[in-house]
Amino acid sequence: MRLQLTMAQSTRPPRVCANEPVDADNNLSQRGAVLAAALALPGVVAAENAPTEGLIAFKYLWYHDQQPGLSRITVNSPSVYTLLPVGESWSVEGTVVVDSISGATPRYHTAISGASDMNDTRAAGEFKLTRYFRRAAVGFGLAYSGEHDYKSTAASLDVRLASDDNNTTIALGTAFTADRIDSSDGTVTGETRQVNDFVVGLTQVLSPTDIAKFNLTYSHGRGYFSDPYKLVDVRPRLRNQTAVLTEWNHSFASESTLRSSYRYYSDSFGVKAHTLGFEFAQGVGSGWTLTPALRYYTQSAADFYFGPTYDPVLGPPFPPGYLTNPPVYSSADQRLSAFGAVTVGMRVDKRFGAWNVDFRYDYYQQRGDWRLGGGGSTGLDPFSAHYVQLGIAKSF
Amino acid sequence: MRRRIPRILLAACLPALLLSACAEVKPWQKGELAKPAMQFDSDPLAARLAQHIYFSKEGASGGYGVGGGGCGCN
Repeated sequence: MRLQLTMAQSTRPPRVCANEPVDADNNLSQRGAVLAAALALPGVVAAENAPTEGLIAFKYLWYHDQQPGLSRITVNSPSVYTLLPVGESWSVEGTVVVDSISGATPRYHTAISGASDMNDTRAAGEFKLTRYFRRAAVGFGLAYSGEHDYKSTAASLDVRLASDDNNTTIALGTAFTADRIDSSDGTVTGETRQVNDFVVGLTQVLSPTDIAKFNLTYSHGRGYFSDPYKLVDVRPRLRNQTAVLTEWNHSFASESTLRSSYRYYSDSFGVKAHTLGFEFAQGVGSGWTLTPALRYYTQSAADFYFGPTYDPVLGPPFPPGYLTNPPVYSSADQRLSAFGAVTVGMRVDKRFGAWNVDFRYDYYQQRGDWRLGGGGSTGLDPFSAHYVQLGIAKSF
Repeated sequence: MRRRIPRILLAACLPALLLSACAEVKPWQKGELAKPAMQFDSDPLAARLAQHIYFSKEGASGGYGVGGGGCGCN
């Protein structure tokens, strides 16, 4: 409650951007209708009010990835999400997902021969309880994810505070995750990983048609970060990650919305990445919405990544000098190389009253020479994936 | 290493400064902002699946919040 008071005191007097037209809506009945519509919807408008409607959503994901000459991983993944208001000041959210994963992945770089076969099922669940106050909300969450070789348990706490006019929301959150790794081939047993996460977020209404969100997240992880199924993969037992995310949604006239996002990422492995995303939602009448999406991602390699040039005596997968001067850390994982990636997607929504049905298709490809500014890792095959999502949701 | 933190702090402060310079929007001006398409988390399942896919195929992750827990997919 003390925090809430602080927020109220910090509320600024009205100010206007020099370049922003002030919308003078003189039609009182129209104004009333818009207000009623605005107040009826959960989310940003009544930022920290308890939800007045429940939601249940089901989604089915089919995912497949490949490289030239190797069909890699296929995932079938049904998931369910539910949001239940409880009384006037509580809500409960739950998510359950089951991934059935099968296929093969290279043991180093994009080498096809000796690729490791896998067949696994992952079950994960999240539960979140939120208590709402007049201009604040406090959430407590638990999460679990289990595969036969990897178990993860997490707890989180977050606080959201809204200004009196609901135009500014500040979010603070922290989470602790404890993981255990026992590889299926028995080479790694009893390894653990602990991660502390922190987030500071700001959501700001910029104008009647613009809203922006800004998040700073920091993650401090200790323990086993190597990949037990990759050869010569030895990673530091400490990983600190920082990400800065800015999202901006703009509503145009004519039922269209542009959602833009940019993320900067940096970690103690030496990976730096930029992610730029756009989604353009266009209402086309009769409850139909089309949303084309485009994403570009670029990263530098981890400090200990080595390319596909091998020791002249030992040959693959060993980096040059492995016998005489072995590196402390090394990885031939394509995901830690320098590359750029593009996703092109299309989503179609159809709303029937309280029901919404959605379909989405995405195509993803990563290549060393798509890295921003050049300098991508060489000698790796391009990696591509495509995936389909089919969803149905009902509010009640 | 030493230059990383100030750059991030600068990136952190810039949007906040820009945001604080903008107009107060009245409740009756928020009809457009209430549209489902204008929400940051209008489809939590889709957002979660996308983050999970990118987490397992790219070096970077995070930025979207906390509490999802880990998995062995990277």
